[in-house]
Amino acid sequence: MESNKKYWKGLEELNNSPEFVELNKHEFAEPIPIEEILSGTGLMNKTPRRNFLKALGFGVGAVSLAACEKVPVHKSIPYLIKPEEVTPGIANYYTSSYDGHAILVKTREGRPIKIEGNPNDVLSKGGVSASAQASVLDLYDANRLQNPMLKGSSSSWDAVDSFVKSELAAIKAGGKKIRLVTSTVNSPSTLAVIADFVAAYPTAKHINYDAVSYTGIIQANQNSFGKAVLPHYRFDNADVIVSFGADFLGSWISGEEFTRQYVSNRNAKSLEAKKMSRHIQFESGMSLTGSNADVRIPVKPSEEGIAIISLYNAITGTTLPGSQKLSNNASAEKSIMIAAQELKAAKGKALVVAGSNDIATQTLVNAINVELASYGSTIDLDNPSKKYAGNDSEIKELVADMKAGSVDAVFFLDANPAYDYFGAKEFTDALAKVRLKVSFSDRGANGEVTTIGDETSSLCTVIAPNHNYLEQWGDSNIIEGYYTVIQPAINPVYNTRQAEQSLLIWIDAPVKEYYTYVKNNWEKTLLAKGGLAGQAGWETLLQTGFVKVADKAAVSYSLIAKDLAAVANTINTQAAKLVTKGDDQVELQVYANSVIGDGKKANNPWLQELPEPVSKVTWENFAAIAPKFGEKLGYKEGDVIKITSPNGYSVSLPVLFQPGQAQGTVSVAVGYGRTLAGPVGNGVGQNAFPFLTASNGTLQSSSVATIAKTGEISILAQTQTHHSYEGRTVIQETTFEKYKKDASSGNRSEREHKVYSLWDEYERPQYNWVMAIDLNACTGCGACVVACNAENNVPVVGKDEVRRRREMHWIRIDRYYSFNEDGGAVTKEKEIGALQKDTAHMDNMDNVSVVYQPMLCQHCDHAPCETVCPVLATVHSSEGLNHMAYNRCIGTRYCANNCPYKVRRFNWFNYWNDSRFDNYLNNEHTQLVLNPDVVTRFRGVMEKCSMCIQRIQAGKLKAKIEKRPLKDGDVKVACQQTCSANAIVFGNMNDPESEVAKALKSERTYYVLEELNVQPGIGYQVKVRNTKEVQA
Amino acid sequence: MASHSESIIREPLITGENITYAQITDDVLRPVENTPTKAWWIGFTVASLGALLWVVAVSYTFWFGIGAWGLNKTVGWAWDITGFVWWVGIGHAGTLISAVLLLFRQNWRNSINRSAEAMTIFAVICAATYIVAHMGRPWMAVYSLPLPNQYGSLWVNFNSPLIWDVFAISTYFSVSLVFWYTGLLPDIATIRDRAKGVKQKIYSVLSFGWTGSVKTWQRFETVSLILAGISTPLVLSVHTIVSMDFATSLEPGWHTTIFPPYFVAGAIFSGFAMVQTLLLVARKVLGLENYITMFHIESMNKIIILTGSIVGVAYLTEFFIAWYSGVEYEQYAFINRATGPYWWAYWSMMSCNVISPQLFWVKKWRTSIPFSWVLSIVVNIGMWFERFVIIVTSLHRDYIPSSWAMFYPTWVEVSIFIGSIGVFFTLFLLFIRVLPSVAMAEVKLLLKGSSEQAKKKVLAGGHVDAEQAQFYKESLEKFDSVEMADYAKI
Repeated sequence: MESNKKYWKGLEELNNSPEFVELNKHEFAEPIPIEEILSGTGLMNKTPRRNFLKALGFGVGAVSLAACEKVPVHKSIPYLIKPEEVTPGIANYYTSSYDGHAILVKTREGRPIKIEGNPNDVLSKGGVSASAQASVLDLYDANRLQNPMLKGSSSSWDAVDSFVKSELAAIKAGGKKIRLVTSTVNSPSTLAVIADFVAAYPTAKHINYDAVSYTGIIQANQNSFGKAVLPHYRFDNADVIVSFGADFLGSWISGEEFTRQYVSNRNAKSLEAKKMSRHIQFESGMSLTGSNADVRIPVKPSEEGIAIISLYNAITGTTLPGSQKLSNNASAEKSIMIAAQELKAAKGKALVVAGSNDIATQTLVNAINVELASYGSTIDLDNPSKKYAGNDSEIKELVADMKAGSVDAVFFLDANPAYDYFGAKEFTDALAKVRLKVSFSDRGANGEVTTIGDETSSLCTVIAPNHNYLEQWGDSNIIEGYYTVIQPAINPVYNTRQAEQSLLIWIDAPVKEYYTYVKNNWEKTLLAKGGLAGQAGWETLLQTGFVKVADKAAVSYSLIAKDLAAVANTINTQAAKLVTKGDDQVELQVYANSVIGDGKKANNPWLQELPEPVSKVTWENFAAIAPKFGEKLGYKEGDVIKITSPNGYSVSLPVLFQPGQAQGTVSVAVGYGRTLAGPVGNGVGQNAFPFLTASNGTLQSSSVATIAKTGEISILAQTQTHHSYEGRTVIQETTFEKYKKDASSGNRSEREHKVYSLWDEYERPQYNWVMAIDLNACTGCGACVVACNAENNVPVVGKDEVRRRREMHWIRIDRYYSFNEDGGAVTKEKEIGALQKDTAHMDNMDNVSVVYQPMLCQHCDHAPCETVCPVLATVHSSEGLNHMAYNRCIGTRYCANNCPYKVRRFNWFNYWNDSRFDNYLNNEHTQLVLNPDVVTRFRGVMEKCSMCIQRIQAGKLKAKIEKRPLKDGDVKVACQQTCSANAIVFGNMNDPESEVAKALKSERTYYVLEELNVQPGIGYQVKVRNTKEVQA
Repeated sequence: MASHSESIIREPLITGENITYAQITDDVLRPVENTPTKAWWIGFTVASLGALLWVVAVSYTFWFGIGAWGLNKTVGWAWDITGFVWWVGIGHAGTLISAVLLLFRQNWRNSINRSAEAMTIFAVICAATYIVAHMGRPWMAVYSLPLPNQYGSLWVNFNSPLIWDVFAISTYFSVSLVFWYTGLLPDIATIRDRAKGVKQKIYSVLSFGWTGSVKTWQRFETVSLILAGISTPLVLSVHTIVSMDFATSLEPGWHTTIFPPYFVAGAIFSGFAMVQTLLLVARKVLGLENYITMFHIESMNKIIILTGSIVGVAYLTEFFIAWYSGVEYEQYAFINRATGPYWWAYWSMMSCNVISPQLFWVKKWRTSIPFSWVLSIVVNIGMWFERFVIIVTSLHRDYIPSSWAMFYPTWVEVSIFIGSIGVFFTLFLLFIRVLPSVAMAEVKLLLKGSSEQAKKKVLAGGHVDAEQAQFYKESLEKFDSVEMADYAKI
């Protein structure tokens, strides 16, 4: 229907006045004075020129202003074709293997961002060590070599391949030796590749070289039983454990696995069954293991062998020739007798271990274990560990061969003897004589760093950088019968190549693709062991991550060589060498700590900033000295002393007063003092490897050294500087004897109080997230700290900032010492001070007990932080959590001041965008490791543990999608997940069946500072020590 | 403010001979109407260098973050809040003098209230800069105001003492400013009437059209009284609320109910000390000995004894209560204050604040100008340490021993503090250049009845009790601005 309506624009149009009609003829209702302007008079006017200048001025100004700031370009490229398995925002998990443990690699949008334990892992059941947690950061290390290097300059793989092949061909023709130096290889596929290589070049030989060597144990087993293996220890079967300096919960062989085993006899479940193992430790320096022992006796390295002889004598009732009393160490002598009684009583369920790398010592320990019927029970020789297979004599031989000029080619895979061989100078001199030197190290140049390679690879002709383990295929066989697979979780980031593939190419193997090689190798031999076969079997393997063959029955063993006289003689001679003369001589003990280990991971800032569990020192090694001894020498903590070995090697290190350190000894950790690790690890601490001494065919960790004050002072970067808990209820402990009588013994919490509240209580209709932490399970290893760093994007702040007490860790492990005096514990600083001055009781300072307490945000129901925040940036949730709204925070820091637990962390600087923190995480590349589910925090805001709220949220969403209620265990927080000891339990208090609700019902449960009525959400369980009343 | 003659035994509030209204105006306006003296220039140069240091240090902090300071995970406040409380406390004397003493009809306040109020305003400005500067994200400071926003129920936390602080300080600043300015009106009008040219125009605007009519004066008196009424509770409330920044927390050493009265007394204590510091110099340099007399100095010293003693009692009470409470954390906090690593701060505080003001019981010392001046500085050092002790030594060792830590300041926070003193003095020196540092109009009210010359006339009249006359004469002996020779004849 046509509309007849007429619209008009104005009265003029309606009336159609003549003026309107006239004007309407033109395009513009009113004439535009263009002509006038262009006619010349307009341009000649003053005004346009001025206007022009104004416009020009404005234009130039605006353009230059706009040009001042570079507009950042954020590249955000959508998938053109979406990969099937990648959904943005959803994590994928891949099975893989780290250090022989089965793990899961969490990837987001194709980036590995977190290592998680495979809950089915045979060794630690989902527990992951600090170093494994930190390993994901190595992938994004911007200091990895980005291209192969040939004769010191960047090259291509083709050039490298043709060079190496022609060299090898020439060397083969020459017939001189070829050596492959690796850290212990237990990967079946790698071993097969090496075998192929050796077959192609018959003069080649594979040498396992471990920086921290276990030759002593392996050779002793050869001598005692004819089996040159590293046994599989079973601490879970042991009721009485006596350790001579073996840090089995930390750095010794397989710390995570042993932690799980050890704690299984000491945790809540075991205690409820009125069962707790007993652990006696004799050692010089305070190790993580020693700090967990029920009884810990400081002995000097020189006394250790004598003590083991005494123990043997006491157990067998014989007297070995040359036996001596520990005349200067009465408490050790007495404790040996007690230990012998207890071991004998627990025959078949007893275990004696020693950390020494001395063959004679280990042979005698074997004899003791035979006497105690440990073989077949607590020691398994039939399913041995394959973690370490190095033989110290082989590397020595290599050095001699190189020196003699009989080696023409040497390959280094995951080995860095120029740094960690005790005779590094001798080694590098000899290496210079080798024609072809190839390293697979990935340490290298990047950007401004001009040095190339690590300590060894920088001396090599060719560097063929290996993939990071997250980029590669591979496998591992850490325990007889346990095979794990390594699969890549990301495409190679740089132009690196699998070391095995390089070897295959250099021998012109038929299969050069390592993936195919690994797969073939598995299909040929390994899949069948797990009852799998073919492609389907391979795919199943990639899903499960490992194959486990049923253990062979572990049987008992008896000594093949009964005569121990020679052994005892060697031990005594060895001990005699360690006798010191004069005040400036000390017994020096070199050890590997559980954080940095042998130093291969020195460029990992997460590990460098993880406090060493006992000393709480970060970013360096130190000279640990007993406080009494240090005072006698006139040292103060932080004094830099010079330690000189008999052959003239010396380092200057700050003194740490370590309670429990044996008098007259100094302990120094290896793994520090790297010079070519990368910007993070370079120059952190001093190298202690050269203090190792070769003796009786192995590398020994103890020697005599002289110490002298340098006059310099260097403040240690410790995260904790007060070491006693002042008798406060923060720590509550009891003994096993008392616990057996009364399960709530030692629990000082007073639940009878009537409590009043100023606030309205809120409903927690569905969830009430809480946590239970068992102080008796926690060994203090610190894996949770690194797991939390990785999960929650916790920044690394560096040594200076740690010194200023500004580390950002959301969870920390508090470590307290107490001293035993007249049957009671002395915990107050003043009393300890008095004890230190009282010469009659000064020995008690050696007799130190340690307790660890993981401390994190307690998510108090009456949170003191919440009431004081002026802007409501920290508030409570209906699920019992204390939230932080970073965007709202203005940074008054009142919440942190008012937090009785001091768990809040303030962003003092803009750690993510401040050139002063470049070394740690602050570069484009390394930031790829960030967890996209957790926002990074800007400078000036407070942060703290969120109870992994992103995981809670993800768990709830998953349950919702699956249309089911959230089950207990669906949500695991990062610290809980990584804990091999299962010391942390997290869950919903509203669910009475949840693990955590059950754990919190324990009589041992107490809440830290509960008298403040802040109603913390984390319950701790009283520490129980299996200390007996003093026996004669 | 009546001008009838008062009892002879009261000491004169204005000394000197032949003081006239015009003389007062001339004396007071000398620095305003003439080019600055050398002393002023020296002072101003030093002060503005200090202010420059403040600008540098604060800019450095803004650029890099609060990490530029020595704070750490355990000690979250140190020099910043110490400085804040110190400055707020100093401000209190001004308000007390201008408001409380006005209500109590203490006429001697008339000659010192102007400077004291100016000091209050400048001190509060310094304090306020600390509030902003100590924030991690000062550009978000607006979040602390209860402004309407698009987030619905997003509001400030009215439970938080820091919010009370925001209100307390802003109220305090605005009321003090209005009170001060109101009092300035008749004096500005006086300057206007004597000035010429641009200066006259400026002062004309600033005088708000003051006419000097009886009605204007009447309204002026009324407004002054009302403002005094409003300000009086602020003397108590502001520092009470500042003390609640600590008292409402859980921190051992902070969580005590004694804080409000203790803080208020401390504030007045430090405020009077600061007034002394300023005026003892100003009266000399500006030649105001006849208006700010020994009587004023002694009166203020007496207040310093009183408030210093209150503070001392509070310190001892805290200790007693810590012991009596039986709370081990509280007990440790106090033992640690006196014997811990910061013992020197504690004992500095004790000797400066408790022992030193007791010296003023000796009349000779209390009426000695150099001694009063030195002691006024000692008191303010002591009061700085008091806040440092409360804040740092409580925080550095609280509940969990693993987190115990030491605090060491950096050059940045030290510079901010020194710089804030520079800012304060810069403002004060500018103030005495452009505005009358003594309330002329109010001092003039005293000339007829309370001045030395008026009293001399009464004495000369001879209708005075001889004993009282003798007493009066003896009381004049301490004055440095009185010519005793004149009295021999009478």
